[in-house]
Amino acid sequence: MSVLERLRSRERLQGAGLDAALPYLLLAPSILVTLIVLVYPLWDGLRASTQFYRYGKALRDVGLENYRRLWDDPQFLNSLWVTLRFVTASVAVETVLGLALALFCAREFRGIRLLRTVLIVPMVITPVVVAIVFRLIYASDAGMLTAFSEALGGSPVQILGDPNRAFIGLVALDVWEWTPLMFLILLAGLQSLPVEPFEAARVDGAGPWRVFVDHTLPMLRPVIAIAIVLRTIDAFGTFDQVFVLTRGGPGEATRLLSVFGYDTAFKFQQTGYAAALFLTMGLIILALALAAVRMLRRAGEP
Amino acid sequence: MKEQVFRGLMVAVLLIIVLLPIYWMVAASLKSNLEITQQATLYPHAPSLDNYRRLFSEKQFGDYLTNSLVVTACSVALSLLIGTLAAYAIARFHLRFNLERTVGLSLLTLRIVPPVVILIPVYLLMLELRLLDTWLGLIITYTALNITFCVWMMESFFREIPADLEEAAMVDGDSRFTAFRRITLPLAAPGLAATAIFAVIVTFNEFLFALVLTATPRAMTMPRGTATLIGRIDTDWASMAAAGVIGALPIVLFALLVQRHLVRGLTLGAVK
Amino acid sequence: MNTRELLKRKLNRRKLLKAGAGMAFGSAFVSALAAPPIARAAGGKVIIGAFADGGLTPFKQKIIPLAKSEAGFDIQFLEDEYGVTLEKWFADAQNGAGQYDIYLLDDPWVPQFGAADVLEDLGAGGIDASDPDWIASLIAMGYWPPRQGPRVKGYEQATPKLISLPFVGDLQTLTYRNDVYANGAPATWDELIAKGKEGVAAGKIKYPIVFRGVSGNPIVTSWYPIFLSFGGQFFDDKWNVTFNSDAGKAAADYFVGTLKQNAPPGVVEFDSDQEGASILGGEAGAIIQYSGNALKADDPKQTKVAGKLDFGVVPKQEKAIAQIGIFIASVPKSAPNKANAIEFLKWYVSPATQAKLAEAGSIPVRRSAFGVKDPGNRLIPVALKQLDSGAEPRPRTPDWAKVEELLGIELNKALQAGSGGGAALDTAAGKVTSYLKDAGYYK
Repeated sequence: MSVLERLRSRERLQGAGLDAALPYLLLAPSILVTLIVLVYPLWDGLRASTQFYRYGKALRDVGLENYRRLWDDPQFLNSLWVTLRFVTASVAVETVLGLALALFCAREFRGIRLLRTVLIVPMVITPVVVAIVFRLIYASDAGMLTAFSEALGGSPVQILGDPNRAFIGLVALDVWEWTPLMFLILLAGLQSLPVEPFEAARVDGAGPWRVFVDHTLPMLRPVIAIAIVLRTIDAFGTFDQVFVLTRGGPGEATRLLSVFGYDTAFKFQQTGYAAALFLTMGLIILALALAAVRMLRRAGEP
Repeated sequence: MKEQVFRGLMVAVLLIIVLLPIYWMVAASLKSNLEITQQATLYPHAPSLDNYRRLFSEKQFGDYLTNSLVVTACSVALSLLIGTLAAYAIARFHLRFNLERTVGLSLLTLRIVPPVVILIPVYLLMLELRLLDTWLGLIITYTALNITFCVWMMESFFREIPADLEEAAMVDGDSRFTAFRRITLPLAAPGLAATAIFAVIVTFNEFLFALVLTATPRAMTMPRGTATLIGRIDTDWASMAAAGVIGALPIVLFALLVQRHLVRGLTLGAVK
Repeated sequence: MNTRELLKRKLNRRKLLKAGAGMAFGSAFVSALAAPPIARAAGGKVIIGAFADGGLTPFKQKIIPLAKSEAGFDIQFLEDEYGVTLEKWFADAQNGAGQYDIYLLDDPWVPQFGAADVLEDLGAGGIDASDPDWIASLIAMGYWPPRQGPRVKGYEQATPKLISLPFVGDLQTLTYRNDVYANGAPATWDELIAKGKEGVAAGKIKYPIVFRGVSGNPIVTSWYPIFLSFGGQFFDDKWNVTFNSDAGKAAADYFVGTLKQNAPPGVVEFDSDQEGASILGGEAGAIIQYSGNALKADDPKQTKVAGKLDFGVVPKQEKAIAQIGIFIASVPKSAPNKANAIEFLKWYVSPATQAKLAEAGSIPVRRSAFGVKDPGNRLIPVALKQLDSGAEPRPRTPDWAKVEELLGIELNKALQAGSGGGAALDTAAGKVTSYLKDAGYYK
């Protein structure tokens, strides 16, 4: 078949009639469902965020007042701060641990298959159940840490009663749950790297650390970056685990934005204020993600 | 030799870190509350399945399981069907005003926004549609939440498959649909499986929307039902542990059965 | 926008959305999957929502079967976690979702439901609240706006309506170890601590007292009887914050200082489960608690110290006042089986059923039922004694949940530090005042 014929046939395929409408028909259901269940609610939330609610009823229009009040509200600022700390700490630890594990497992050896299988478990377990697991570990009266401590002759271990330790406890939960994902992503990245540069470096007499710094890390950087962005977005939205583990306590030590927003909306019925809070949270995440994508692009350019 | 011992040790430590917490929950689920809170035993001294029996006789865990299975199956099937069509359109066609690109990017943006942002309005929407505490309400919500990443993942799978193959088949006389079914679909099947598995796990585990959209065992899903037992007033540790085991068991078994595809799905987006 | 316009708009939007959803999913699919409408069974189906609490065990085990056999009520009893029930039920009632016939509310929630005007007027439904057999302080809690005490803005002139019905009468009492407090219940807080220390020295117990230290409702609940006993008052008649008075501060300092020093080291994270485990496990000398754990006090399967636990009135400083916190039943206007629900409540609060409830071990809400020959629990006569000697409900404001949270956070911080209770109250008073101001309390 000549090139000309090929071109003509392609034209015919995307030609008039039903075929021309086909792509729109294919897109339509997705667009419709997204518009109804995702976009319309976003718009509705935007509208609610400019209202003042009392006892669950919108009383009056307050413009951007709800957004302004957020930045005077110590409880909001505190949850924002807690969220940022939580996301940074968890993602940092998960990246380092995940990378170390991936390097460690990059070469096949006995036991690796078992390890990989077992590592799947934390990230597929229902997050609510993960939180239950950790409540059973941390509880000062019935917990695993206390039981082991007492079996060794020690005293009960306090985790969830102390603000710092509760926060670390929450980060530990997230690390337990999500390091395996980091590990799997980075492992896949490692295994997709070409072999030649490493062999060349080894022939040149470079030690493992130099190979890692000069070759592995630069080549792996895009994968690491994307993994970090994905985890960061997810960590920002963390809700289930905190809801079950601490419900934000002690005090406000583990109250992430999502939990504060939920309480504001459903427990205290400040619907408009909560809507403003959630949209602000969405904007923060979007801004972070866009900044990250831009940085990735720039890093990708030679 | 030394290295092997070191590796063995590392693997053992990792296995302990991952499995010990789970062991503790399973052990607690076999104990009585008295044993849990007042004896702090390291293993169940008088193991019994009473806690599990109570979940099904006094609580409604049978209902939760049914609800979860129905809701997960329907919404994953729907979002895969709808999402695959859209992904195909985006990957294969150039539309006016770059529509397919716009749609793709919009969906990706929606994926970035955490679902909690639209929690309140979705609740109000389901209320207006009279779909609170029904399967359908959950199915619609989960379908929409899943579509964003179904489109995203399937699109990248379709792009991997050269369009020429399809076109060659069409030149040979196949209709577009037949070409899709004969050539593209089989080639995209592993991707479809990976997407489906990922969607199943995310949907089965979803808690936040289930918390807000359901109220009774009529529609409560497994994670939501499990959470009825997390009380801070009068915590029933034994039942809670048993609920945790029951709540997680289906999805863990599922994941272990399909683990090869699962890993592919989980890591796909990042490595491309 | 007036209500009619709003309704119209809603309807139109609903129609539009329905059409959209219909197109997307197909009407056959909809009808196949939407749950079937609740059948109105002649036998009397009633859907009761409750939060999981030991205080309801006798009702669950004895009264639900009785309601079936004696009066033909088919009760669906749905329990959920305390931390989510308020918001779930409020959303259900306010939006007319119709998922429940009766909510067993925690009584401080009544004002919020009252202010939103989403509950049936039970007086109009034919329930007689004037019967002198009602415990006055309990039935008073069912009215909105309250018949006595300060009223929130907008309700100064409204006629009180009976929107909730006391369901299980509960209040704080003292549970103590009769081997540590050999002469009966300690009369004062200082006596409680002093004798408790002797008990610790003698190796009978580990800690004189255990309480709930978790932020929010738990810590405020634990602090409240001390606050009341020290002579504190939460708000004045104009809703000005008065809990940081000298008496209140003394109570807070005593709570985060003396009491904490005599409690287990982890008390900051204790909630009622740990509190209960401490007394039932024989570690604590005394606790102030609601009745949930009292039912387990004589059961050797549930406690290590069966027979050693007795009940008494809370200790006093100025007075001996406990906090009342009852299960209170409400019927949402949107209840699918409304008539059944009201009929069930009539049957349930009748003296005969209440007597059965007392025999089953729950604290009843009718005075006559306290006098049954064989109450199912030793606590029941003590509860009446406490009710008559001094017991106060929490302030009747729809904003109690937020107020309690703001105060709870500060108290919890002070408890962690082990000092600064008074200062914590000042901080909390500032936050509560500013919140109530925003909510329009002082205009």
